[in-house]
Amino acid sequence: MSHLVGVVAVLSLPNPRPAFVVALAAPLVSAAWAASKLSGGEVDTARLDWVEGLDLAFSFRVGPLGALLAVLVSGIGVLIFVYGHGYFGGGDRRGFAATLLAFSGSMLGLVWADDVWTLFLFWEATSVTSFLLVGTKSTDSTAVTAARRALLVTVAGGLVLLAGLLVLVDVAGTATLSEMGPVTGDQATVAAVLVLVGAFTKSAQLPFHVWLPGAMAAPTPVSAYLHSATMVKAGIVLIGVMHPVLGAVDIWSGLGVTVGLLTMFWGAIGALRHADAKLVLAWGTVSQLGLMTAMMSLGSGKAIFAAVSLVVAHAVFKAALFMAVGEIDIRTGSRDLRSLSGLRASMPVAFWVMVFAGLSMAGVPPLLGFPAKEAAIEASLNESGASGDLILAGVTIGSVLTVAYTTRLVLALFSDKGGEPTEVAPFRWAAAAPSVLLSVLGVVGYVLAPSVTDWVVPAAATLETKSAGYALLRWPGLDSTAFWISMGIVAGGAIIGAAAARHSSPPETVGANNVDRLVDRTLDLAKWITGRVQHGSLPIYLVVMALAASLAVIPFLGSIDADQLHAWDRPLQAGMGTTVVAAAIAVAVIRSRIGAALALGVVGLGVSALFLIQGAPDLALTQLLVETVIVVGFVIGLGGLTTQFPANGFVWRSVRIGTAVLAGAAVTAALLASAENTPSNREALVAVAVDEGGGNNLVNVILTDLRALDTLGEVVVLVVAAMGVLALSRADTARGGGAPLSDDVRKGRR
Amino acid sequence: MIRGRSPVVRSAIRAASPLALLVAAFLFFAGHNQPGGGFAAGLVIGAVVALRTVAGIGRPQDATRWFAVGTALVSVVALAPLLGGEPLLDQVIVSETVPLLGKVKSGSALVFDAGVTAIVVGLFVAVFDGLDADELGRDEVQV
Repeated sequence: MSHLVGVVAVLSLPNPRPAFVVALAAPLVSAAWAASKLSGGEVDTARLDWVEGLDLAFSFRVGPLGALLAVLVSGIGVLIFVYGHGYFGGGDRRGFAATLLAFSGSMLGLVWADDVWTLFLFWEATSVTSFLLVGTKSTDSTAVTAARRALLVTVAGGLVLLAGLLVLVDVAGTATLSEMGPVTGDQATVAAVLVLVGAFTKSAQLPFHVWLPGAMAAPTPVSAYLHSATMVKAGIVLIGVMHPVLGAVDIWSGLGVTVGLLTMFWGAIGALRHADAKLVLAWGTVSQLGLMTAMMSLGSGKAIFAAVSLVVAHAVFKAALFMAVGEIDIRTGSRDLRSLSGLRASMPVAFWVMVFAGLSMAGVPPLLGFPAKEAAIEASLNESGASGDLILAGVTIGSVLTVAYTTRLVLALFSDKGGEPTEVAPFRWAAAAPSVLLSVLGVVGYVLAPSVTDWVVPAAATLETKSAGYALLRWPGLDSTAFWISMGIVAGGAIIGAAAARHSSPPETVGANNVDRLVDRTLDLAKWITGRVQHGSLPIYLVVMALAASLAVIPFLGSIDADQLHAWDRPLQAGMGTTVVAAAIAVAVIRSRIGAALALGVVGLGVSALFLIQGAPDLALTQLLVETVIVVGFVIGLGGLTTQFPANGFVWRSVRIGTAVLAGAAVTAALLASAENTPSNREALVAVAVDEGGGNNLVNVILTDLRALDTLGEVVVLVVAAMGVLALSRADTARGGGAPLSDDVRKGRR
Repeated sequence: MIRGRSPVVRSAIRAASPLALLVAAFLFFAGHNQPGGGFAAGLVIGAVVALRTVAGIGRPQDATRWFAVGTALVSVVALAPLLGGEPLLDQVIVSETVPLLGKVKSGSALVFDAGVTAIVVGLFVAVFDGLDADELGRDEVQV
């Protein structure tokens, strides 16, 4: 809620300078509030009914997990705003700050949601806002393509998730997450797969990871935020909150762990191949997300505990790493591992931040990443059988590679390449302070591991009760298998990384191009179809519409009651009807435009008279007025046209006559089919009208009171359509410069 | 075409406009008990807009503003009852004795109808804006 206020406040700021300072107030408030909930253990709920009959509500529930994630989202959010202030230096960034704030608010809504539809709404909100954030540099075609790719992949995943949630709600019998019990069976399996695919797209798991490295086109504050604490964690959180419900489904952990470990491996390979420091971090994020996905979907008490710990540790160190790389980027103008030189001396702050955060990512004591990684290894050790061995092997190999790319990143980024050291712009405290704070937090978190445990354990326990007994160990002891595996990982990874730091070649991007190509093909196809369907000929549009509408009558032909038909109620109707028909035929036959317009007027007035005879003065009045206005319209319109209609060929003329006859027959049939066969409930309506509507004119009371909702809908449609017309006519003027059309074009107009 | 050629038509339209607006006002208020109503009133005003366009004399210009006013009125009437816990679009009827007119009975439906009128007028202004730029403007170039 405070975020909404914040967005409005930032957008309405008169002066762009303090945008980030004002913006950080909102996450500061929610971070403080969430922090106060961390150790309390009580659960706050809030519910706002939306559509009662459909059981749609905005429902939130802030338990230990919600509080922990909110502290991450908002706490790192505050630091991001500080960092953004330093990163951008100057310029008007109100829109950017507001979008970032909106994104942050969506993320909070997502982690607090207690209703699957609320969750879904905020899920989509993060997709849309992150699209805007990734595409911040809207003039850069790379950024635009990357933003489009991110949007399409995550929104496609959102649709899959929606399908999964629909199935889930059907099988679970409720949309409230806290009321859902474990479900199994075929339907639950379908839901599980769909939900997992949704989570995979958001958390950049194979093969949907393609959007994440491209999203590096965003400004670094966005990358640091999206890819540490927020966006990409949404999928992990989703797997977590769905664990109590879908965790019992057979395919759940198998699919999640397989995809997660493959992603961890492939992401680490990607991180080793790239030479752009930010891309290395991006691929490293993909890899880390793989580990978290695997742990979260593995589902044992220890694994869930490890996953939540990793979420916390990763948010802290990855944000710091991104910020440091961003700082290097803005102060040197480059992120290329191969060209940057001498930074260790010229940027000592960034260097130490990278070292500490990097060691945390590699899982080296005394940093927070170490106990979290230990927990993951122990969770893998606890799994028995061949699958357990595979998981352990996967986690170990992935971790070795993680250490390797971290080592390579730090060594290559800060090594002296010989030659001149890279030039460095002046130090900006706002761009450096947040990353220093975060890297220090890595150490503090390790020292205060028992406190961190106190926050993580209740959070993990809300997902899996068996997680309650575990703790983050600062020093597992020399007789712990996991510790030796861990040390082996660090040693092996360091050697590979040191070797890799010497050779690096720019790799081809795999996969991302396929997404772009698919998008381009789809757009080409759409253009082709549009070209075929929207040919621009008004008569053909009308013919197609009339034919389609006529066919729609066919199903109702059966309900025509022949006994009800009679020629007329009053003889006057016959005379008037004949006049109308004669005038209508005249419209079609007369070659002179003005004559046809007059004949059309006769048709309208005749129909108006028919209404009057039938006892509907309201309709008659309206019809009369419409006719009057149409006459004026003709006066204006005919001025620009030839006096005679152009001649038509035989075929085209026949088609038009045929369509007209068919449409006429269809309208007649439709009227006959919808004629009221039962006695009218007019008396009842009159009574209600006078009583409730307070008016004697039944038609108007229906319009403005009894069925006012219909009227409301109609006028809104009217406004929307009219605004569209207005926009189109203006667009035409803008493009054509208001130049008169050439004469032959005008003559060709019908 | 008519613009600049027929002062008679022009003067006639100029003279008829206020009367037509009076008719519109009558239709608008009569609507509750007799033929008429917001839509019909909007049509009459629309016809005035159309005629003035043809004659090339001043008329309302900004369709967007009419839409905004109309939509605002309609939405307020529609949503206001929700604040009081009543269903959407619930009507409030006021009955008051006013000097000269005697007993006057009216309801929030009148405001709703006013919104409809504004939207209909806006539609005409929008259409004739488009036509004006398209057709009449060109005549001016040619004549």
